[in-house]
Amino acid sequence: MLGEVIRILAASIICWVLFVTVDILFKLPEKGGVSGAAAIGRQIRADGGDLLGGNMMGNIVSSPDASAGTLLASCGVFIAGIPGGLAAAALVFIGNRICHDPGYAGTTGAVLATFVVYGMTQVGFAASDFIAGTVIAILTIQGLFHIPASRVLGRLWRWRA
Amino acid sequence: MIAILQAIFGGIALLGAIAASLSKSSYDKLIGIGLLTGGVIPFVAARGYLDVAIAVSLLVPVTTIIILQVTGPEEER
Amino acid sequence: MEGIEGQIPLILTAGIGLYAAIRIVAERRTLRKLPYLNVLSFAVAASVALLIPHPLALAAAAAYFVGSTLESNAIASAYAGGPERQ
Repeated sequence: MLGEVIRILAASIICWVLFVTVDILFKLPEKGGVSGAAAIGRQIRADGGDLLGGNMMGNIVSSPDASAGTLLASCGVFIAGIPGGLAAAALVFIGNRICHDPGYAGTTGAVLATFVVYGMTQVGFAASDFIAGTVIAILTIQGLFHIPASRVLGRLWRWRA
Repeated sequence: MIAILQAIFGGIALLGAIAASLSKSSYDKLIGIGLLTGGVIPFVAARGYLDVAIAVSLLVPVTTIIILQVTGPEEER
Repeated sequence: MEGIEGQIPLILTAGIGLYAAIRIVAERRTLRKLPYLNVLSFAVAASVALLIPHPLALAAAAAYFVGSTLESNAIASAYAGGPERQ
């Protein structure tokens, strides 16, 4: 039981690094993709946070991005192995188009996460650990404290730019 | 589905119902309805009615979008 | 309390969903509620996939997630004043 909790925490760190890297490589913090995402970014800046990090949080809310790809790819690997993960990537692609998002961050994140999760299942992790780990990782960004999270994301974006 | 999970998801659905009924702004009411849907979907899926879960989870956002056409942008409070 | 050993990921995701629901009810600014709603939809989609390991459950999780995202998108855009006023 303790070992499973430790595996879930390790999986959450892996998922956090994976989807934040993909999101920042696809320039999510640069601007709000739709007007609602930009409005969330402005609201977070008005409350004392960082505008660029707020834009990225708004983009995560408004369209399935790499974090959604990681979650659904983990579910796909948990249910059906690698074909399930690729089916999840196709579903994320359809979801992106439904939400008027022209980018490929979600699909890329899902395909990458499929192979990462499948590789980690070969070395002792279970795919369900990654499902719970992704939920914990998104909780640390969107659910605990918005203002410090937006500052961390803005600092990562400036470090890349 | 074990009892603790039933308690948790039932609590989510009840919180959504309370939030939807008590909030003043129409946007907050719609968010409460989204919360209520999130609590109900696992009960539908746990019985094996996955097609019903898919239908409900696609119909509720469409209904929300149609209601949003009626309410319009909110004036500053 | 039977069978709690094999269910740790499921109980964890459901507990995170309950936490997000409490934060939604406690938060007063509408735009700040939407990230918590996103956390809730992550938790519910993960719970649906963990509850039933069936191929259609993947479609149900994806449909719920995309639907919830579309709803948040529409609410945020309408609150901000519609897609044309940007």
